[in-house]
Amino acid sequence: MKNDYLWDGSGVPDAELQKLEKTLGQFRCNAEAPTLPAVDRQLDVVRSRGFFSAWRMPRFLAVSFLAAGVVAGAAGLFLRAPSAPMVPGWDVAQIEGAPVVGSAAVRGENAKASLKVGEALVTDGNSRASVQVAEIGELFVDPGSRVRLLETGSNRKRIAVEVGTIHAAIWAPPGEFVVDTPSATAVDLGCAYSLTVAEDGSGTLRTRLGWVGFHQNGHDSFIPAGAMCLTKPVQGPGTPYFEDSTEKFRDAIHALDFEDVDGSEREKALRAVLSQARRRDVFTLWHLLPRVNEAERPMVYDRMVALVRAPVGTTREGTLRLDAAMLDRWWNSFDLGDIGIWRFWEQNEAPRVKKAAG
Amino acid sequence: MAALGRMVDRAGLIGGLPREGAEAPDEALVRAAQCGDRGAFGALYQRYSRMVHGILLARVPRLVAEDLLQDVFLQALSRLSSLRDAGKFGGWLAAIARNRANDYHRQAKPAEEWNENATETDGGRAGRDNVTDGLFLLEAVRSLPEAYRETLILRFVEGMTGPEIAERTGLKHGSVRVNLYRGMQMLREKLQRGSFLAERK
Repeated sequence: MKNDYLWDGSGVPDAELQKLEKTLGQFRCNAEAPTLPAVDRQLDVVRSRGFFSAWRMPRFLAVSFLAAGVVAGAAGLFLRAPSAPMVPGWDVAQIEGAPVVGSAAVRGENAKASLKVGEALVTDGNSRASVQVAEIGELFVDPGSRVRLLETGSNRKRIAVEVGTIHAAIWAPPGEFVVDTPSATAVDLGCAYSLTVAEDGSGTLRTRLGWVGFHQNGHDSFIPAGAMCLTKPVQGPGTPYFEDSTEKFRDAIHALDFEDVDGSEREKALRAVLSQARRRDVFTLWHLLPRVNEAERPMVYDRMVALVRAPVGTTREGTLRLDAAMLDRWWNSFDLGDIGIWRFWEQNEAPRVKKAAG
Repeated sequence: MAALGRMVDRAGLIGGLPREGAEAPDEALVRAAQCGDRGAFGALYQRYSRMVHGILLARVPRLVAEDLLQDVFLQALSRLSSLRDAGKFGGWLAAIARNRANDYHRQAKPAEEWNENATETDGGRAGRDNVTDGLFLLEAVRSLPEAYRETLILRFVEGMTGPEIAERTGLKHGSVRVNLYRGMQMLREKLQRGSFLAERK
């Protein structure tokens, strides 16, 4: 019976084991659940699609494509006439009010329309819409937004958010869904995020799952889940930071990124960033390395290595001269996403996006 | 749980609502969480936080374990889409926790090591004695081989039963049983050599 108590607590309690339970039980886990972003209504809508939920889609698609391939192959043997080119559109569904697709309003409950390449979806102050992003995800467009479909190829889907707010839930491979804004391009590297663009072209991106790359003229910011990043015309994407960082930290980052501060004001802002940085804010300091001047960079580096150990394969000298491989090693040590995915996108896709946009 | 059940059911992830008071299976929670459902992920946290804490506590200083607990779940959340077999969530999460503890040892700087004997408890003498006894015992458990110390910590610190440890960690019942009995035997020998239990009694 004694042995049963050790195994499952049954039988006659063993005094020695009870003493162990009592003495060691004081160290039991009593931590609160981590603060996670609230479940969004938009994501609820995604889930309510049941069979077409994110996790089932790949299997469904695989089976569908296989079946379609067999049918198309068999048909091709007998029917060799060229088929008319398909112009795919994205399904737009009205959620509230009367969103406009192209020049037609989408009115009434469950009303739908198709958004074609080159067309814009416009929501006024009272309307909202959802958009099926080909087979790879869903967008929710808030009131007061204008979103244009630029491209819907097999490996890349691209839209422009000219103004307003979208919430994206994407389950495509990283880099396939791209959003242009007037001041930066957002590249989906994960799962879910929200993006707001103001009339003046500035923007705010908040990542809820996975991570997102914000890109403009070789100026990159990576925004992991729980973090946000501002972008402004001319300056491009700012330095990303976790939303739970201190107000002083965030204000100082804004000052360094977007305010015209120099001399003692700039030094004060940098010191505030460094002093307020927590261990998890090292990813923000990593972004600062190439953005500060050579005189400031050692201060940033020193704070980083005071918070975490420098990853294997990096040196102080190499990091300070912004050695690309060492900076990548640093990023991967944060475990926020593999930067190799971004480098691949940067080399293979970014030139095409730039060319298409240009 | 009923609300969670409705949420999971609405997602078309399981055949029907779990009974009132019944726990949604891991698979349903994991799939709902993979679709972005924070409620489902919160339920997984409630279900697995003791296991993760125990695994960490077997490997890192006590106060650090609380810190890393959050890290492990946030890391799991960000990687959840890569988990193909939702039924193996426990073993997958346990592996993340073990790796996170190993990373801590690789990254930790000597200056940042915690003083294991530091305690925020400000009780009377009895309270202090209990804490001191606990720290002594914890140290004794942590001096055992890894498999034994993890299982004993899950059993005595986190209050999990043997079957529960097996279910949560994905280990076989036989393995957990062996770890428990052999670990307990080694712990007894260590404590008797130190006359700990006799003195304290």
